[in-house]
Amino acid sequence: MFEFNYLKAKSVSDVTAFVAAHPDAKLLAGGMTLIPTLKQRLARPSHLVDIGGLPELGGLEVKDGQLVIGAATTHFEVASSAVVEKSIPALAMLAEHIGDPQVRNRGTLGGSVANNDPAADYPSAVLALDATIVTNRREIAAADYFQGMFATALEDGEIIMRLRFPVPQRAVYEKFPHPASGYAMAGVFIATTGNAVRVAVTGAASGVFRWTEAEAALAKKMHSAALDGLKLDESDMNEDIHATREYRANLVRVMAKRAVQKLLAA
Amino acid sequence: MSDAHAANRREDLRLITGRGRYTADMNLSGQLYACFLRADRAHAEIKAIDVKSALARPGVVAVLTGADAVAAQYTQFPNLMTFAGRNGAQILKPERPVLASGKVRYVGEAVAMVVAESALAAQDALEAIEIEYRDLGAVIAMADALAPGAPQLHANVPGNLCFEWETGDAAAVEQAFVKAAHITRLKVITTRVAPSPMEPRACLVSYVAASDSYDVYTPSQGINMLRKQFSMLTGIPEERLRVHTHDVGGSFGQRSGVYPEHGAQMIAAKRLGRPIKWVSTRAEGFMSDAHGRGIEIAGELALDRDGKFLAARYDFLCDMGAYLTPTGSISHLRNPATLMTGVYRTPALYGSFKVVLTNAVPVAAYRGAGRPDIAYAVERLVDRAADEMKIERTELRRRNFIPPEAFPYKTPTVGVYEPSNFAGCLDQALKAADWAGFERRRAEAAQRGRLRGMGLSTIIEATGAGVFPKDQVAIEVDAQGKLTVFTVSLSSGQGHETTFAAVVADTLGVPHAMVSLHECDPQKVLIGNHTGGSRSMAGAGSVCKLAAQKLIEQAKPFAAEALELEPSQVDYSGGAFRSRDGEKMIKFEELAKKLAGRQPHPMNTLAEATVGSTWPNGCHIAEVEVDPDTGVTEIAAYTAVDDCGVVINHSIVEGQVHGGVAQGAGQIFGEHVMYDHASGQLLTGSFMDYGMPRAGLVRNIHVGDHPLPSKLNALGAKGVGESGCTASLPALANAMTDALRPAGVGHLDMPYTPSKVWHALQTAKG
Repeated sequence: MFEFNYLKAKSVSDVTAFVAAHPDAKLLAGGMTLIPTLKQRLARPSHLVDIGGLPELGGLEVKDGQLVIGAATTHFEVASSAVVEKSIPALAMLAEHIGDPQVRNRGTLGGSVANNDPAADYPSAVLALDATIVTNRREIAAADYFQGMFATALEDGEIIMRLRFPVPQRAVYEKFPHPASGYAMAGVFIATTGNAVRVAVTGAASGVFRWTEAEAALAKKMHSAALDGLKLDESDMNEDIHATREYRANLVRVMAKRAVQKLLAA
Repeated sequence: MSDAHAANRREDLRLITGRGRYTADMNLSGQLYACFLRADRAHAEIKAIDVKSALARPGVVAVLTGADAVAAQYTQFPNLMTFAGRNGAQILKPERPVLASGKVRYVGEAVAMVVAESALAAQDALEAIEIEYRDLGAVIAMADALAPGAPQLHANVPGNLCFEWETGDAAAVEQAFVKAAHITRLKVITTRVAPSPMEPRACLVSYVAASDSYDVYTPSQGINMLRKQFSMLTGIPEERLRVHTHDVGGSFGQRSGVYPEHGAQMIAAKRLGRPIKWVSTRAEGFMSDAHGRGIEIAGELALDRDGKFLAARYDFLCDMGAYLTPTGSISHLRNPATLMTGVYRTPALYGSFKVVLTNAVPVAAYRGAGRPDIAYAVERLVDRAADEMKIERTELRRRNFIPPEAFPYKTPTVGVYEPSNFAGCLDQALKAADWAGFERRRAEAAQRGRLRGMGLSTIIEATGAGVFPKDQVAIEVDAQGKLTVFTVSLSSGQGHETTFAAVVADTLGVPHAMVSLHECDPQKVLIGNHTGGSRSMAGAGSVCKLAAQKLIEQAKPFAAEALELEPSQVDYSGGAFRSRDGEKMIKFEELAKKLAGRQPHPMNTLAEATVGSTWPNGCHIAEVEVDPDTGVTEIAAYTAVDDCGVVINHSIVEGQVHGGVAQGAGQIFGEHVMYDHASGQLLTGSFMDYGMPRAGLVRNIHVGDHPLPSKLNALGAKGVGESGCTASLPALANAMTDALRPAGVGHLDMPYTPSKVWHALQTAKG
């Protein structure tokens, strides 16, 4: 780790002013990606500005049919929230299966969405639920937000304040954890509202994506057999020492089918 | 039996409440901090090293390189090979300067050491060291290393081949193969793994100029073995080396040897006159802690038409990485050779071995150290033979077990097995595992779309005979009659504080709480062996019993005096010295208090014995379920029946078996050190990529004892430290083979990762 200065932020406006004046400063929320990066000396920020405890980034409520969660809310808080459990239980379940207890008590929703790790769980929920990312400057639709591996629509100095998840009729998340890291090797989030079905896939490709063929098939018939033989481009899948493209594509199909079965059983 | 046998581990409260004292917790005043620059390439010539700007960094006190290692002559690592190879050739020992000189030979090799006022300053300065390399070709696979024209790692090791050795009778085996009704062949691999104990490597060295001597604080498996190796590496006599180890968070054989970092810190401590501390990171651990296993074995078994074994031969390729560790080569040859016949009568045996160097982390003994490897080869081969000959697996084993009347059994290679009851262990395990009811469970699983399989292994081990000629144990008695037992063997999870104290308490008939254990005290110069090869209970543990018995005899004259009797009229039982007629008695504690004024206490004693190999054996049965959609395997049930001799404390035996089975299951299902074969770069350099097992992997495990007392030591113990690894590799692999066979999948090499299993199922579908 290189030396850095640590600041505990008092307000979002303070933070934006400070970051504007210190281009090498980094925001620290849960630090679940940033701190390992620092330990490996892969980043050398001048300052770490701790936004973890900012009241403006807190809050967890259902308002106008939308579940609104502050960006600094930890995975543990989402997993154990009665509000989340009542409105979008799949989201609570997703949070409950991120990392381990230490990670869930430090890591935050906003941090995960801002980082957009291609194997993170939350991006699949954000995309499948068509959530809105509210920043200190604007509101960004999920469809516009995710831009591939670790890339998002966030601009310099832009801070995620909260996320608004429209409460769906039904939703479910099915994840195949990576045997070593526990990250999603394939995670499939399915949400239905009225006749619309949205299927978002994380972990398998370079970034979260919607499986539109599955959405169309499931909109016609909500049954796992509807996914049989559907097109899923294997060439888009990641390939590494742990899994081939074919295997990851298979996992997407299997997780999607299991998700549908769970959805129907619920 | 005293209360000691059912005791919970008395070390647990201290260790799980953060009150253990590990090397990283040790600090000495004025200490400096070391940090190592490690090779970022697998094989390269070092053209130039420039440390000037690193030296100029704030807080930096010194930078050492290979030139310093060569100047100190810290270049020849100990290697414990005890026998000559083919045609009388000695093992070729490559030079290994404690900091690389001239060449680097694996990613992670220490090239330079920065010493600074803080660990952070040392780490910062590493990046200022400039090295000019000339890349050379890297070899990772043993076949590549042995190929004609392969890049040569060391000038004195032509063809990257350190040692060739053979054992057994090649001609007799050849004859038997000609006559055989059936021959089964199988090539297996026990993959290279990273042991990864919870406590990272660490070392703190201080030099005492007045006596020209060193204090070295470091995790170990026992200080004597390490002190001897420090002396062999540095040429410093053992009496000027004091090794200090307190608590150790796992060792697994990886801590059995001296490491380059130890030597580099000793050079710096003497030169700078200040203590030097280093604590490894996990990332450094993956690329510089000794790896384990890494053996390829081609096995052949010849049988007659009734399934009787006629002969077997095994061809071993042992991957040692870029240099020889002290233990890796001997343990990967001697143990498989000793156990090549397994638990079976095989009239003719032959083994050939090649010790090969590659551009990878050096390999050392790792829990089982060659025993799991040979058990895996034998038991996979036996299962395959049963399948090919259509003889039920347990039946084929029974036909070939060495029968009870054949003991002591001299194997056709080098071992003499002590009495064992292989069929008894098998029967107990079959019953506990409900072997007979398996097909019903398989059918039930099939209804759920799962492939269920069951597999077994029947195995034997030879425990470590020890490097030192004997084991000594001292007992000291204090003014309150409390006893302190001193040993050399060191616990790194084995629970010696509980069990060794139990042996002494039980022998003396005193409460467990009266006895405490003190391991590896550098002030107490005892001869004895380190913890390794499952030998501590049979070795140090049995000498604990002898010491307690000796103490009684030594105290009898004093008891006689107290009781006003002739010494010959004094007996000892139930924690007290008694007159023959039962009229008079004095309790152990009372006599100890009475004698407290004399210095040293007259009951203090020292006992010793030479304890050789014992022969733990057992039968493990695994039941697995494969999800064909994902290739994920669940261990549905696991039964272990072990003959570890006399059991001192069942829960500690159970804990040892759990740990060993979890390590075996880790290797079978996920652990695998992988390198890029072209560049020699390490691909599994963190827990993000290295599939370390989690606690949930082995959830349902039954551990049964089948104790047949050993007659080879005073306690009757055989040992249990490694049986979990040795038996679980073949039991789990045989269960996987059984699960996948109906789907048309044949032999697969470990690890059975979800991706590999799924692909195999797809290929079988065609």
